[in-house]
Amino acid sequence: MPCMEPGGTRNSLSQLRRGAVEYCVLALLRGGERYGFELVRKLSEVDGLVTSEGTIYPLLTRLRRDRLVTTFWRESETGPPRRYYQLTDGGREALAGFTEEWARFRNGVDGLLMEEGTR
Amino acid sequence: MTIVHTDKLVRDYLRRLERAAAPLAPSRRAELVAEIREHIDDALLTAGAADEVAVRNVLERLGPPEEIAAAAGPSQRRSGRLELAAMIALAVPFVGWLVGVVLVAASRAWTGREKVVGIAICLVPVFIAGLGFVAVGAESSAEVGVPVGTAPGTLPEEHGGGGDGGLGPIELVVVLGTFLGGPLGAVYLGSRLRRTAAAGELASA
Repeated sequence: MPCMEPGGTRNSLSQLRRGAVEYCVLALLRGGERYGFELVRKLSEVDGLVTSEGTIYPLLTRLRRDRLVTTFWRESETGPPRRYYQLTDGGREALAGFTEEWARFRNGVDGLLMEEGTR
Repeated sequence: MTIVHTDKLVRDYLRRLERAAAPLAPSRRAELVAEIREHIDDALLTAGAADEVAVRNVLERLGPPEEIAAAAGPSQRRSGRLELAAMIALAVPFVGWLVGVVLVAASRAWTGREKVVGIAICLVPVFIAGLGFVAVGAESSAEVGVPVGTAPGTLPEEHGGGGDGGLGPIELVVVLGTFLGGPLGAVYLGSRLRRTAAAGELASA
C-alpha cells in the first residue's frame, strides 16, 4: 500500500531511467567517439529518457571512473577543444551484458503487464 | 523596458551550481561547472541565438543546478548522530571541545572549509581569552602597575584594572570567550548542515 502512491511510481520510474541511461550512453558510443554535448542531445531526443540534460555530465564522469569509457581532447572548428568519450573494452562488455539482460527483463515485464484478465 | 543581461542569467545559474556542488571534491566541482558552461556555449551555438529566450530554454533543459549536483555524488553529506554529538560537544568548554573537534574532523557532512571555520569560531575566542589570562597573570605578578606592554596586540582595548579581584573587562572577555565560542561554532556548523539538507531535498524532489 505505502508505495502505491503516484510519488512512488514516479520515483521507481526515475530509478529505472537512471539505470538505463548509462547503457544508452554506452550504446551511443558503439559507433565511435562523441563529445559530451552531442551525447546529451542524442539522449534527450529519446522521449522520456532524460528529464534534466545537466545530469548526464556527472554520469559521464562516473562511466569514466568505472573505466567503461575513456576520454580525450580534440580541437573543434567552432570553439575551444572538446572532450570526447570513447568506449573501452570493458564498456563494450558491460553493454553486451546489459543488452541481453534488458531483453529478458523487458519481455518478462511486458508479458505480465499486457496479460490483462487472462488466467 | 528592461534589458535582461543573458550573461547574468548564465552566471547566476553557474553560481547556483557551484554552491550546490560544494560537497564535491574541488577538482570534480570545477570540472562539472566547466562542462556545464561548455554545454551552454554549445547549446547556444546550436540554437543560433543567444537572446534571453534561447538562454532560458537552454538552462531549462539542463535542469535545476541542485539536481545536477545531486547526480554528481551520492550525498556524502548525510548528517546524523555523529554531527549532532559533535555540535553538542563543542558547546561544552574544555573536554567538550576536544571531543567536538575530533568528531567534526571525522564527519563527512561538512566540507573542509566549513570544519575549519566552525572550529575557528569555537576556539578563537578561547584563544583570545587565554591571552587575556596571560596578560592578567603577567600584570598581577608584575604588580608594579606598569602593564607589561606585551599583551600581544589581541586586546587593544584598555587593560582593565587587572589583579584586584573584580570582574574587569579582561575577565569578562575570558568568561564570554570561553562560554560563547563553542555554542556559536556549533550554531554555525548546524546552519551549514540545514542548508545542504535543504538543497538535497530540493534535488531529490
